[in-house]
Amino acid sequence: MTARPAARRSAPARADGPAAVAALQAALAAENSAVYGYGVAGAHLAGSKRAAAVRNWVAHQNARDALTAMLAARGAQPVAAAAAYELPFAVHNSAAAVALATVLEDRVSAAYLGLVGLSDPALRALGARAVATAALRAAAWRGSTLAFPGLDVPTPKRPGAPTAGRATTASPSPPGSPAPSHSG
Amino acid sequence: MARDATRRRVLAIGALTLPLAVAGCKGLGALGTPPKAAPGVAVVGHAITVETRLIAHYGAVLAAVPALAGTLRPLLAQHHEHLARLRARLIIPPGSRATDLASPGASPSGSPSPLAVPGTPAAALGYLRDAENAAASAQLAHLAAAPPSLAQLLASISASEATHAMFLGHARHR
Repeated sequence: MTARPAARRSAPARADGPAAVAALQAALAAENSAVYGYGVAGAHLAGSKRAAAVRNWVAHQNARDALTAMLAARGAQPVAAAAAYELPFAVHNSAAAVALATVLEDRVSAAYLGLVGLSDPALRALGARAVATAALRAAAWRGSTLAFPGLDVPTPKRPGAPTAGRATTASPSPPGSPAPSHSG
Repeated sequence: MARDATRRRVLAIGALTLPLAVAGCKGLGALGTPPKAAPGVAVVGHAITVETRLIAHYGAVLAAVPALAGTLRPLLAQHHEHLARLRARLIIPPGSRATDLASPGASPSGSPSPLAVPGTPAAALGYLRDAENAAASAQLAHLAAAPPSLAQLLASISASEATHAMFLGHARHR
């Protein structure tokens, strides 16, 4: 946090200008990472899971474009996507691909929670919607829900690794197909 | 988390010192009418009311359709986590109820009017799905009025409830 002159207090929407740009950049970085990650995950999935991955991949591209436009409108230079991203674990099969998709959505939900911490009500509302959308996708991949999506994000773990950590996962009876809902 | 703790303390100090300051100015008579709480406190109170009501819905459904316990208990446990996290943002005087303190208008949760819940599993799941969706929306009703860290907590709880609704919707079609 950089110190700002206490006297400069203008309209709420402008008050967190630099903070808004930083939060939008963080969300964009998460979307860039998700676009890359779904490309990797999709290659190891088949059937309805692959279809869900493709759907989410497209949704993250759209979100990336929307954030890029918002940053440009604020006169900021949108963060560029990296050519490649380090994955949290090796992805060689379907189980690892599903785990990766879960991690990607967890990270996206955490990034959008940054927008909810701003004072601009429009950005707060946009952030809250995006947190829910990512949480829905994450829950569908995970097969269970979290108590605090975006806030208490479980540490990424390779599928089959011992279950531990502060993830507050529930295990409701499996909802049939794990295909993420892309609406909402 | 340190920031959360600080905020909680600030809220708590505000809640404690405001009545004293008012009482100091107006004499003992002023103690009879509690002053209006700080905005953050009112928003937490509303969120607690929403969460408490949702937990009551779960309780009523579990009583009516015990066969759903395996499906519902993990979700209910997360609502208790929501409630605990919200209550932790308030200082609750010993012996009082959080809902009474936070939202004076709300009916006490001690003896709620019995909720009429559907008796079949499919209908009960749909009933709870609707309740979760309603709660997810209600938790965002005062998003703009909340301090930043509380707004984030409310958005997270709302998102969690949206995922509950999705699971209940899927379970209904089994």
